[in-house]
Amino acid sequence: MKLIFDWLDDRSGYRNLLHEVLYEKVPGGARWRYVWGSCLTFAFFTQVVTGTLLWMFYSPSAQTAWESVYFLQYQVWGGWFLRGVHHYMAQAMIVLLVLHLMQVVIDGAYRAPRELNFWFGAMMMGVTLALSLTGYLLPWDQKGYWATAVATNLMAEVPWVGPALQKIVVGGVEYGHHTLTRFFALHAGVLPAMLIGLVVVHIYLFRKHGIHVKEPRPKKDSYFWPDQILKDAIACLAILLAVVGLTLYFRGAPLGPPADPANEFPARPEWYFLFLFQLLKYVPAFWGAVIIPAFLVLWIFLQPFIGISKPGHQINIGFWWTLIAGSVALTLLAFAEDRANLRHSAALEEANWQAERVLSIVQEQGIPPAGAVTLLRSDRENRARTLFASHCSSCHRYNGHDGRGYPVDEPQSAPELAGFASVDWVTKLLDHKHYISEEYFGGTAFKDGTMAKKVLAKYSAEETALLPRIARLLSDMAELPYQEPLEEEEREELMALFYNDDSLFQDGLACIECHDIDSEGDGYAPDLTGYGSNEWTVAFIENPEDDRFYGDENDRMPCYGRDGKLTDDEIQILSDWIRSKPAE
Amino acid sequence: MDEEEDTSRRKFIRVATIGASAACGLFPIAAGIPSLLDPVKKSSDGGGKVAWSKVAPIASLPEDGSPAKFEVIQEKVVDAWTTYKDVPVGAVYLTRKGDEVVAFNLKCPHLGCAIDFRKQSNDYFCPCHNSSFALDGSVTTENSPSPRPMDTMETKVEKGDVWIRFQQFRPNIPEKIPLS
Repeated sequence: MKLIFDWLDDRSGYRNLLHEVLYEKVPGGARWRYVWGSCLTFAFFTQVVTGTLLWMFYSPSAQTAWESVYFLQYQVWGGWFLRGVHHYMAQAMIVLLVLHLMQVVIDGAYRAPRELNFWFGAMMMGVTLALSLTGYLLPWDQKGYWATAVATNLMAEVPWVGPALQKIVVGGVEYGHHTLTRFFALHAGVLPAMLIGLVVVHIYLFRKHGIHVKEPRPKKDSYFWPDQILKDAIACLAILLAVVGLTLYFRGAPLGPPADPANEFPARPEWYFLFLFQLLKYVPAFWGAVIIPAFLVLWIFLQPFIGISKPGHQINIGFWWTLIAGSVALTLLAFAEDRANLRHSAALEEANWQAERVLSIVQEQGIPPAGAVTLLRSDRENRARTLFASHCSSCHRYNGHDGRGYPVDEPQSAPELAGFASVDWVTKLLDHKHYISEEYFGGTAFKDGTMAKKVLAKYSAEETALLPRIARLLSDMAELPYQEPLEEEEREELMALFYNDDSLFQDGLACIECHDIDSEGDGYAPDLTGYGSNEWTVAFIENPEDDRFYGDENDRMPCYGRDGKLTDDEIQILSDWIRSKPAE
Repeated sequence: MDEEEDTSRRKFIRVATIGASAACGLFPIAAGIPSLLDPVKKSSDGGGKVAWSKVAPIASLPEDGSPAKFEVIQEKVVDAWTTYKDVPVGAVYLTRKGDEVVAFNLKCPHLGCAIDFRKQSNDYFCPCHNSSFALDGSVTTENSPSPRPMDTMETKVEKGDVWIRFQQFRPNIPEKIPLS
C-alpha cells in the first residue's frame, strides 16, 4: 500500500498539497465562530450533488417540467427525499450566508487586507440568491410561475436595458419552453459554474491572508486539522440533521398545481425574499429593482473603507443589523398581512385543492402529452367551481363561499346551493325561519311572496311536523347520486300527503293547491315534477322564466341557456356539481 | 493531563473528525442513491402482464403461410410521466396456419437489427450480421451470429382480428428472456 502511495506522491506531490490544506494555522485555537465558511461549502457541495441527481429526472419544458417533478416526487423510489434535501438545503444556505456575513462584519474580517475577499463573498451571495430565484421556477407549479413572473417583471425596471434584459432571461415575452430552458441552464450550468469559480478565489484569498482572529485569543494556536475541522464537521452534521428533519417532517418539498397563466394564484416568493415583496408594497418597483440593490452594492464596496476607523466599523455593524432587523420586520409583516387576509388563505386552500385534485386525476388517467394542466382545465369539478364562482356566486353561495372557497364581498341574495335538493336542504327550505333567511330566499322578492307569507308562516305545529316528509319526497325526485331512493310504498304514501288525500293540511295550505307533481295542470307555483333532478336543474338554469318554473315571477335569476350566457355543456357541468355530494 | 491521556484524546478527535466529515461528504450521494437505482428496482417488481394489442384482420394474411409485416400499435404506453395513446411500439411478421397465427418480432435476436423477409429464397435474413432464419423462425446457418431462433409472441384470433402480446427480449443470449 505504502508503495502505491509513494508512487502517487512521487508523481503528484499530493502529500505536500494535503499538508498545505490541512495544516493551516489557526491562531488562538479552533473556534465555533469560524465554522460558517465550511458549512456553506458543505451546503453548496450537497446542492451540486443532489442537483446533478435531480438533473437525471428533470425535463425543462412547459409540458414536462411539472410532470417530471411529479414523477420524481411520487413515482421514483426516494425521489421525494432527494428533492426535499435539495429544497431545504437551499433554504439552509440562505441562513448560513447571513450568519457567515454577520460573523465577517462583526469580527471586522472585511477590512484591509481582506477587502477583495469581502467583495468576492458578496458576489457569491448574489449568485446564491440568483440560484434560489431560478430554482423556484423549475417545478413549473403555480407558486413558482406567478412569483417568478413578478421577479422578472422587476428586471424590466433597470434603466435602458431592462426590457431587453427581461426578454433575454425569459426567452421572449411570455413564459414558456424557453423560460424553462434558460432558467435551467442558469440554475444548473451558468450560476453553479460561477459559484465554483468564486469559491476557489474566495478560499485562495482566505488562505493567503489567513483567519482573521477575533481578539482576545482564547487558547494557544492550533491547526485546521483536526481541531477546526472537527468543529466544522459537527456544525455540518447539525445542518444535515436539520435538513433531513425538515424533509421528513414536510415529506419533501411542496409541489403545487401545474402552472396555468389563466388560473390566478397569489404570487409570493420564498420566505427569504418576502421582505423585498413586502417592501414593494411601500416603494415603487424601480426602488426595489434598482435603487436599493445599487445602494447595497455601493455600500458593500465602500464598507472596507468606512470600517478603517473604529466608529466606521461600528457604523458597518449597525448598518447590517438594521438591515437584518428591517428585513425580519418586513417578513413578519408580510406573514401577518397574509394571515389576516381571508382571500389569501382561500387562494392557498384552493391551490391545495387543485394540487390534490390533479394528483388524483393523474393517478387515475395518467398525464397526457399536452401536460397535466390540461387535466385540471378539463376537469368537470374544477370547471364547475370556476363557473359557479364567476356566474352564480354574486347571489348564491356554496357552503358560504364562491364555490372555490373565496369569501364574496356582496351580500348573499339567493339560496345556498351546497347540498341542493338533498333531504336536509329541502327540509330547511320548507322551514319558514330558514325560507326567509339569507340562506334561502331572504335576499329575494320571494321573502314576501305567497309561499313565505301565506303558506309557511301559517302552518300549525302538526302541519309543520309533516313538512320533513314532504321534503323527503321532493328530495327523492332529485335522484341525487349520493342519496338512497325511496321504497315504492313509502313514495306512494308521501305522494298521498302531497296531494293531501287525508286532508292533513288545512285548505289553502296543501302543496298540490299551487304546485304540480306528475300532472298536466298548470299550477300557480313552480312545477315540482322531477324537482332537483338533472333534467329539472338543467332546464331551470337554462330558463327560470319558463312557465314551468317562476314564469314572470322570476326575481333576477338570469336565463343562462335562453340568453346564451352559458353553453349547454357548462350548464350540465353546473347541474352535475350542485347535485353532487357537497365537499366538507 | 498525562501524555497517554492526551494521545488517546487526540486519537478520538481524529476518528470523530474523519467520521463526521465522511458522513457529511457521503450524505448527498446517499440521498440520491435510491432514486438513481429506481429503474433497476422497478424492473425487479415484475411490471405486470403484457397487454394485448390488435394487429390486423386475419383475412389480410396470405393463406399460403407466407409472412406479412405489420406495425404493432399499443393502446396505452406510459413513458415515465407521460401516458400516450395508440403508439406504434414495433413491428412483427405474422404467418398463418389455418386459423392459427404465429408472430415473430422484427428485431433480430442477435443485436436488434430489423430482419428482412426474402421472397426469392423464402427465408428471413438480417442484413446487419447475416443471420438467416427459416419460415418457422429457426436458425438456418451453422455459424449464425444469432444465438437463438426468431422471437415468437403469444397470439390469439378474436372476431376475425389477430391480437398479440408484444414484447422485446434480451439480445444475444440463447434463452428468450423478456425485457422488463
